[in-house]
Order: sequence, then C-alpha cells, then structure tokens
Amino acid sequence: MPELSYRDRDTVIHRLSPLVKLAWGGGLVVLSLIFNHPVYILILFLSIIPMVKLAGVGREWASTLKLALWLGLSIIVINALFSYHGDHVLLAAPFRLPVVGSPVITLEAIAFGAVMALKLAVIISVFSLINLTVHPDDIMAVLLKMRLPYKSVLVTSLSTRFAPCLVEDIERISDGYRTRGVQLDSGGWFNRIKNQGKISFALLSNSLDRAVQVAEAMEARAFGSGQKRVFYKDINISRTDAATLGVGLLPLAAGIAARVLGYGDYQYYPNLTSIGFGGWGWVMPAIILLLLAAVVPLAFIKRRVELD
Amino acid sequence: MIRLREFSFTYSGADKPALNRINLTIEDGQFVLITGASGGGKSTLCRCCNGLVPHFYGGRISGRAEVQGMDIVAHPPKELATKVGMVFQDPENQLVTTDVEREIAFGLENLGYPRNLIARRIEEALDTAGIANLRFARNIELSGGEKQKVAIASVLALHPEILVLDEPTSELDPQSAEEVLRLLERLNDELGLTVILIEQRLDRVVHLVDRMLVMGGGEIIADGTPREVMGGDSQGLGIGLPPVIRLMRQLRGKELALNGLPLTVKDARLQLQKVLREVKTAGFAGGGAKAEPVLNVDKLWFSYGERAVLRNINLDIGRGEFIAVMGRNASGKTTLVKQFNGLLKPTKGRVRLGGVDTRKSSVASLSRRVGYVFQNPNDHLFADSVEDEIAFSLRNRGAGETEINKAVEQMLNEFELGRYRKSYPRNLSGGEKQRVALASVLVGQPEIIVLDEPTRGMDYVLKKKLINYLDDYRQRGKTVIMVSHDVETIAECAQRVVLLSEGRVVVEGNKREVLAKALLFSPQINRLAQALSGYGVADNTLTVSEMLEQIG
Repeated sequence: MPELSYRDRDTVIHRLSPLVKLAWGGGLVVLSLIFNHPVYILILFLSIIPMVKLAGVGREWASTLKLALWLGLSIIVINALFSYHGDHVLLAAPFRLPVVGSPVITLEAIAFGAVMALKLAVIISVFSLINLTVHPDDIMAVLLKMRLPYKSVLVTSLSTRFAPCLVEDIERISDGYRTRGVQLDSGGWFNRIKNQGKISFALLSNSLDRAVQVAEAMEARAFGSGQKRVFYKDINISRTDAATLGVGLLPLAAGIAARVLGYGDYQYYPNLTSIGFGGWGWVMPAIILLLLAAVVPLAFIKRRVELD
Repeated sequence: MIRLREFSFTYSGADKPALNRINLTIEDGQFVLITGASGGGKSTLCRCCNGLVPHFYGGRISGRAEVQGMDIVAHPPKELATKVGMVFQDPENQLVTTDVEREIAFGLENLGYPRNLIARRIEEALDTAGIANLRFARNIELSGGEKQKVAIASVLALHPEILVLDEPTSELDPQSAEEVLRLLERLNDELGLTVILIEQRLDRVVHLVDRMLVMGGGEIIADGTPREVMGGDSQGLGIGLPPVIRLMRQLRGKELALNGLPLTVKDARLQLQKVLREVKTAGFAGGGAKAEPVLNVDKLWFSYGERAVLRNINLDIGRGEFIAVMGRNASGKTTLVKQFNGLLKPTKGRVRLGGVDTRKSSVASLSRRVGYVFQNPNDHLFADSVEDEIAFSLRNRGAGETEINKAVEQMLNEFELGRYRKSYPRNLSGGEKQRVALASVLVGQPEIIVLDEPTRGMDYVLKKKLINYLDDYRQRGKTVIMVSHDVETIAECAQRVVLLSEGRVVVEGNKREVLAKALLFSPQINRLAQALSGYGVADNTLTVSEMLEQIG
C-alpha cells in the first residue's frame, strides 16, 4: 500500500504556499457541505484531479479513494435501507415494522446516498491531498500564523507525529495478548469488550510513559524557556503567494455568494428534480469550476516568478 | 564542572532514596562512564546534571549539586539546557518534530535565538554529528542509530559544555552503537566536551573513557580509571567485566607475568604475545548430535505488501537446542521468529510445529507449545497483580486452581518475585517487569520458548540469571530460540546460530562455525584467539573458559 504521509517532491503543487493549499482545500470542504446539487458536488470532485496529477500523488490518492468508495457504498446502502422517503419505490418489504411501517427502498434515497458519498469522497480527497503535499510542520506554522496558541498547536502536531507509534503499540499489545492464548476475535461480546478494555488500558499506560519521555526530552531542550519563541521556518507570504491566496479563497467566496443567492440547491424528496439548470443557470457552476481551477495556472506562474 | 556534596534525592512517594549522600566532582573535559545494576541510581544522577531532578521529577532533596557553578535547585532544565545536553535511551521518544533540520532547530527556537544564528548552529551540528546527508530526512525514516545521532546533534546545537547520555546504545544494533560511540569519542577528544555516559555493555566503552563510576543502591560504590575499577575486587559491584578483562584477571597470579589490565583485544594480544609459549590444542569440536526436530521451516517467504521481508528460509530446529538468531536491524529476525507461533503466517512456504502447519492453527492454540517473550515487558502485562499475571495463561487454558497455584508459586520462587506477588506489574522496575514477563510465559512450560532481544539494556546480574535459567530449561528437553545482538552472551550459551541478512539466511550452523573468524559477529575472545593462532591457540575458541583451558 502506498505511504499516505508527506514526502517532499519538486512539483508546482508541493512548492505552492501551504497557506494557499489550506485555503483552497478548506474552501472545497466548506462548499461540499453547503451545496446539495449533484453537478456542483461533481465539479468540486473533478477540480481535485488536476491538483493530484500535478502533485504526482495519483497512486496514493487512489488508495484513499478506495477507502472513500467503501464508506460511500455503506452510506448508500444504509440510506437506502433506512430512509423510506421518496415516491419511486424500487423494492418493498412484504412485512410491516412498528412505527415506520413497511420498509421500502426508493430511488430518491439511493440518489441522496450517492451524492452524500460523493461529498465524502471530496472531503477525503482534500485531506489526502493536503496530507501528501503539505509538510506537517508547515500546517503547524500556518495555524500559528492564524494566531492559534503555540502550545495547543504543538500538542496537535505531537499527536499526529506519534499516531504511527500508537498503531504499532496496538499491534504489539494485541500480539502479546494473543501469545498468552487469548482469542481476541472470538468468544461472546462481553469477553471481547473485556479483552479490548485490557488492551486499551495497556495502550493508555504505554502512551502515558511515552508522554513523560517526550516531555522530558522537550524540557531538556529549553522548552518553555520564557524567551519569545522564534520559528526557524516561518511561512513567508510573498506577493505572488498573496495573489494565489486570494485566488485560493475566491471559490469559497463565490460559492457562499452563490448559495446565498439560491444556487446549488437540489431537492431529492419526494421526487428527484431535474439536474439541468435551464437558462443561464449553468453560468454559476462554470464560474466556480473556473475559480477552483485557477489555482493551477497560478501555481505555474509562482514557480516561473521564483525561477526568474 | 559538576560538583555534588552530600547530595541525596528521594522520589516522591518512594521510601528509599534514589541517590544517597553522593559526593562527586567531574572535571571539565572528562569522559565518564557510569554503570551498575538496574535501580542503582544511574539515571537519577544523570538527570540531576540538567535539573530534570528535582524540577521535572519531584521529590525530597538534601545536600548541594552544582553544574558549571549553577545550583540545580535554583536553575531549572530550561536554564541549564545551554550548559548540559541530554540524550535519552529511546531514540523514538526524544524526537519532537518531523524532520532532521527542524529537530536540530527546536531547542534554539525555544531559546528565541535569531534565525541567522539558528541556521549557522544547524550547519555546525549537522557537520559535527556527521549527518549532513540527513538534513532533509524525515525522522520516521531514520534508523535507530541515525535517530540517536540526530538527538545528539539537536543538543550539540545548543553548544553545551557537558553531554549526558542515558544508555544511548541499548536499543541499537552493534554497528549503529559503534558509530554513536565513535562520535562521542570525537566530541570528547576534539571538542573537549565533557561526556557522561551510562552503559551496561562495558566491552564497547571501557577503552574510550577516562573514568568509571559504578553505582548501586543509590551510592557510588566504585570510582576510578577503568583499570583501577576492573582490576580491583569487582565482586559485588554487579557489573559484567568484558571477556578479555576476565581472561587477563584469571591469568594474573599464574605463570604468565602480565603487565597491567588490557582494555582492548589489541592490548591483550600484545601482552599475551610477549609471554605466551607454544600451546598444544586439538581445538574444539564444531558439530553436535542431530536433535529430534520440533520445528520445520520450509521454503518460507513472507512479505509486507509488496516488500519481501523473508526470502526462501529453510530451517530445522530440534528438541533441546539453544538457537540464536542474529543479524542487522531490519534483517528479518523478529519477522522470522513471529512465524514460529503463528503471529505471522507465511506468504509462501510452510512452518510446521511438530508436523502441524502453523497456517492451520490459531496463535492461541500454538501458544500452548510455543512461548514468546517480547522485547518490551510492558507488552506482556495486563493483570492487576503479579500472581494474576503469571496465572493468566493457565487460567485461560482452563487449568484447575490447585495446578495454577502450584505453578505460580514455583515461578514466583524461581524469578524471586515472591515479595511482589500482590504488586501491580506495571509499577515494578524494568528488571522486575522483565522477570514477570518471563514467568508469565514460562509458567505454561512451552516446548519452545522464543525470546526477542531479552538481554537488551539488562544489567549483568539479571542477564546472568536469565542465561542460567534458559540453559537449565534447555537441559530439561525444551528448545530455546533467542533473537539477539549480544555476541558475548550468544558465545556463552547458544549451540547453533542463524545469521540473517536482507531476509535471507546467510549462514547457519554450530556457533563455532558462525561466530569464529567472523569480522563483526565474533566475540572478543575469538578475535584474540585468531591473533594467537600462530601459537597454537584454536582459532574457534569462543569463551574465557575455553581460552583458559589452553593457556591458563
């Protein structure tokens, strides 16, 4: 499986300011939450593809998409099984349940689930792209630039830094348990919960030990010295960065404006409405698509300016 | 200079002092080794040097401790950080950021140094530690040895006058440990840095240091040059003398007139060459009787995803054998032994335990026949008391209470854990936890016991007890398989050695065939024997007692 953490590469996307990528990615996530129209959501998803391609992280992105696919399928199935709204009944159960009546699977419920799955794919793709192209310490620097308290940002960064250690701990502790004759995946639910509880307790104990060791190492290197902390690798925002940042934020601004004006909505229940826009309705999604894609040529311009 | 006068420290909640009326002066530029039994106060003493004791670890303090003229009570670690750099045992848990450059910058950033000064210090630290090539590497991708060098570089950047290291090599393979120790030697020699090093493996360091302190029960029980400390009465110090020193001490008082105590194989060789007469020896037999096979590994391949970790391993392991599995870090040792109890299953090929294919059995059922002791004893401990921990496996198998009680009592006695029977296992010291972990596995009397690096970081006394126990266990017809880097221990106790590299068995056979004449994996005595083979000393001699048989 390809590694899903940051790896330094010399691509226009990697060289783009982390602030711009975070603004662009954050915009996409917000837009995917406020729009309901399938075409808008599809546009958001498609706008990620050139960024992935230019960053050279296609394989890694594809592996996260697999996860998104499974989660998406579960959303579709669950929504189809438990949402009984919609007029187009595809399948009706021959029995009745108390309160909800006769379970049915409707076309509308499937369509709603599918768009929710696509929204999820957008969000997972954004997180994967940011994770793969922004150095974790740069994320920390951006958060600090946004005036978040250093200690809170550091704690968040340390939690991310030690997440792989936690996974290794779980594996080792589970192995320790299994070698003592415990079958973790069998037995009654009470036994399983009891076993998992013991593993969690051991894990917590290991994590506390680790926290003490990390704290000790930080104190030994003058953490909390009382001096005003300097950041060796600060995020500098050049004029080109400021311009790209503006462009990175434009889709978000345009999307919010569009939503306020009533664009991007869609009605799933009781009947699916037409996905066509009619008249000049297509202009707004086209504008959002253009704004989302504008970050790509600007990334090339930024590289050009840097080289000059 | 470090100066302690009548200094005592008792951890909060402890009834005995961790340091008891210590009087010590360490002059600038000295290379000081601190060794001794676990729980003797070594780490506490080191943590006094940069103020972690008493500022990070609270407790009762008396007497006075000064570092470069600064009282450690009045000056917390953040103020002492530019005087004393501290490197810890675990390479993983002392790196705070994600890449090497930022790691080195971390302390300088905390001190608020200007960016141009930070940049200069990073350059210096990278060059001094010899890791300029790792500048942009991610910490997660570094080997253990590289991580320790990064940790050293990150404290060197603060320009400390004293460098304190708490067992920095205990989690490293021999090559990485050697590299780290060479770096320390250079820092002391060329930059005049005071180096204070805690280490259990004396053979690695005694020739590098100016002074040796032995600690026990919170006190300094020996202090002097390595020759003074190891040449005197070392009984009761709880330290394992390097094999050449044990040999030369045994030879003193015999016909061979030796001049001083040699600290290296070369010193010993030069001394012995002067006094040795022709030795007549028939050498030592290499082979052994073929044991009844209990474990068969047949064309075993194992991969994590697309990466092959084990490649075509073929191995037969017999009843009553003591087998050592050796190799560099990441050579596939742990992956191989995890196949023996089914924790990992072959990607291709087969592992059969007494004819039963491990792929067709669960770990739980295989655990009745194969016991597995992990590197970190914490991975074994789940129960609320030591006796429950030991009883766990038997209870899980549905054994009767009478049988359980008898077996638990026996284990408590064998591992001297009786006084801790009601204690919470995770609250015990490292050595005690290790004993509980061993007892909790051995209580089931498995046919095969697999131990992954059991002697790592272990003090001499504990190591000796463990090896004696395992040897006794083997003589009861059980099979012992031990993954280890500890060549000296393997030379003493193993019968057969399997050497892995890049997931393949490079060489496998009787320990004499594998360890004798090897460049890196030969024990000290064998390196001496090779140099003395012209005098008739068998070149497959591995241990002190074998050497004494020939020249004693």
